[in-house]
Amino acid sequence: MEAARLSEPPDWLERIVLLAIPPAARESVAGDLWETCRSPRQYAVEALQTVPFVIASQVRRNLNLPAIMLQGALIFIFLGGSVTLILLPVLMLRSAYQQTTRPSPRHAIREASLLSAGAVALLLLIMSVRSPFPIRAGVDHFTWLNLFLLGLLLSPFLCIFRAGLILQGDRCAAACPSELPKEELARRYRSFLSGALCRNVLEALALAGVAVGGFIFAWNTLLVGLFGVAAVYVLLDVTPRAIPPDDDFISLRACYRQGLARQQQLRRFLRWLWFTPVLLALQARLAVNGLETGRPLAGLLDCVAAAILCFLVAALNREHGGRVQEEIGLLDRVREKIAS
Amino acid sequence: MDSLGQFEQIVLTAILALEDNAYGVTVHAKVEDLSRPKKATRGAVYATLDRMEDKGLISSWLSEPTKERGGRSRRHYRIEKSGAKALRDSARTAQRLIETIAQNLGGLAWKPPG
Repeated sequence: MEAARLSEPPDWLERIVLLAIPPAARESVAGDLWETCRSPRQYAVEALQTVPFVIASQVRRNLNLPAIMLQGALIFIFLGGSVTLILLPVLMLRSAYQQTTRPSPRHAIREASLLSAGAVALLLLIMSVRSPFPIRAGVDHFTWLNLFLLGLLLSPFLCIFRAGLILQGDRCAAACPSELPKEELARRYRSFLSGALCRNVLEALALAGVAVGGFIFAWNTLLVGLFGVAAVYVLLDVTPRAIPPDDDFISLRACYRQGLARQQQLRRFLRWLWFTPVLLALQARLAVNGLETGRPLAGLLDCVAAAILCFLVAALNREHGGRVQEEIGLLDRVREKIAS
Repeated sequence: MDSLGQFEQIVLTAILALEDNAYGVTVHAKVEDLSRPKKATRGAVYATLDRMEDKGLISSWLSEPTKERGGRSRRHYRIEKSGAKALRDSARTAQRLIETIAQNLGGLAWKPPG
């Protein structure tokens, strides 16, 4: 049945293949390719035939439709249709390639520095060529200078924030022994379910409260509707799930993993949702106080505030997602401890 | 519950037949064996395994890393109760199809395997 392995893939080729495989499937798929490697050529052909399916499957698995729709709507409002068409597939691919571990503080600091420098450079480039933003061309040198200075000043802040999140996450990192009795796994799963239930009920109530408040104070109808629908969506998820009594260790572990992944998707959407009203308010102000209307600094600050908010939500999602993926990875490897 | 597609039936049958030794490489080999003369890519097998796991038909876990795999683990698969039920339903439908075909094409023209 098993194909004989006659050779090992070259290091450089293996590195490329490892980069191409989404992290969630990397361990098993790369191992399978290695096991059946007969020649570098066969390995490359096999990888070329396999990896696209794996990527597509991971995109499907990690597709968080409510979150993607919300992010797409925000990008459309801020940057227009053409940018949305480019960024949506990027976001979907990014979710497929989400890391299975949290980054180290050093990595996070490097990422934050690169991101803030890149964002400033991109903004300048777009604004100097042809701006799709509400801010149009014709901005004076003083504004450019301010933009640079703000970017430089904000970089350390973003780095500290990102590293702080990781250190905070380290303190409540998941601990899971290599062997666990079924009863202990069931106890952990029950505790996770009750925690998720409690959190979902509270969050659904808060969302409903915002929707009702928005209705009374005549906020944007679309936003009020969005919060109302989200409250119902979260409430639908709170139905308590009993653990089937005849489930064995493996089935129980599969349920736990699915539950963790589902809650992660829900939280990702809700984090974006909570910040949506602020982002929309900033966009509305930008539309009025464009940089060319005599109040360039106000517009500039709105731009920067929107970018920081997006960074904050993405960082929170990255840390929480990494922690959940770590927990799923630990569950994947835990063995059943049979009482002697 | 949704009925199984043909490829899903083949992959589930492969996992069932392999018992404790069902992981990417062996499942793919068994699927190729079951779906002869058609070829099945390993990527399609992975995608189907992921989809069936999301539906709760199978479950998976990682083994200990081994040297033969460059220090990487195998992802083992097992059929869950809902998967076994879906496979039984599919087998019943297939059985009815075989009987109907045999009746209409006649025993000499076509014989069901086995």
